[in-house]
Amino acid sequence: MKEKITQHFNKVFAGAPRTRKALDLKQEMVQSALDKYDDMVADGYSQEDAYQNVIESIGDVTELFNMVEEERVFLLPEKDRQRRALLISFAVGLYLLAAAALFFFSSINEIPGFLHIDYNAFAIVPTILLCIPPTMMIVYALNRYPKYTRLEKAAKAGLLVQCKNPEGYSGREKLFIKYVQSIIWTIAVLLFIITTFTTGRIEITWVIFLIAACVQKIVGLGIELKAEEGNKEG
Amino acid sequence: MSITSDILRGHTEAIILSNLLEQDSYGYQINKDIMRRTNNTYELKEATLYSAFRRLEQAGCIKTYWGDETVGARRRYYSITEEGRKAYQGYKQEWQEAKEIIDQLLK
Repeated sequence: MKEKITQHFNKVFAGAPRTRKALDLKQEMVQSALDKYDDMVADGYSQEDAYQNVIESIGDVTELFNMVEEERVFLLPEKDRQRRALLISFAVGLYLLAAAALFFFSSINEIPGFLHIDYNAFAIVPTILLCIPPTMMIVYALNRYPKYTRLEKAAKAGLLVQCKNPEGYSGREKLFIKYVQSIIWTIAVLLFIITTFTTGRIEITWVIFLIAACVQKIVGLGIELKAEEGNKEG
Repeated sequence: MSITSDILRGHTEAIILSNLLEQDSYGYQINKDIMRRTNNTYELKEATLYSAFRRLEQAGCIKTYWGDETVGARRRYYSITEEGRKAYQGYKQEWQEAKEIIDQLLK
């Protein structure tokens, strides 16, 4: 019966905005309904009567839903966000593998007892092949699980007047992310120039940019996780 | 009966504030309190109650935090702010005046 109550709320909240406030509200209302149900059953009501009473006492939630609308929209349910994160981390892993393959094939000249081909010249082929799946994964993840909903995009573009203070990153965090990113890319470019000039092997050194992109993603993820933790505590 | 329901609904905010004056509380607890004090006659719809919470929060009259229950239910508590206390005094005075006027008119 308790499961039925939770399911009822899932249905009611299907039309709610996907915001943290709405999630909090749902959790709060479900808990309240379950408390009431427990009390009624303890008072001797039948399970069915208690269930009916709990459902009837919810009332009209339309106005309530308008109140929990906000700018930083939680795009996705928790489950989908986890899938998205998983897909992207796998993709990053595959990119690293591709980079490793490039190093491997360009460093060997010959595999004893194996095909006698110029492995150096063909090093790029397995690398590109290995880059295909992660690229597809990322494209899929970004389309299937978009990071922002339209509402948030509109708010970002300043189209929504109701947008007050977005609860996203604070000004300081934004600045920090900007600095970290520019530092990562500056180092990448410097490394690329230095290694290319000293070794003359541009076919390998370009990988630095791939690595820089990975590092940027990882750092971004770290900051996001930390910010989320902060939000939860705050 | 329905007049009372309407009036209760219209004063949800004041009832919540009055309830929070002494100690922090959560939604179901407040509703239970309303039921107890009206001899199990009245309770607020959840939607009404939680809309009022949101309005009060937006107006800075109450603050909210998640309880730290270690077992089972995680409840969201509300506490009244200084501003909320002032708003409550205002409400109470207005209600006194309204009550007197209605009494005058219905004599």
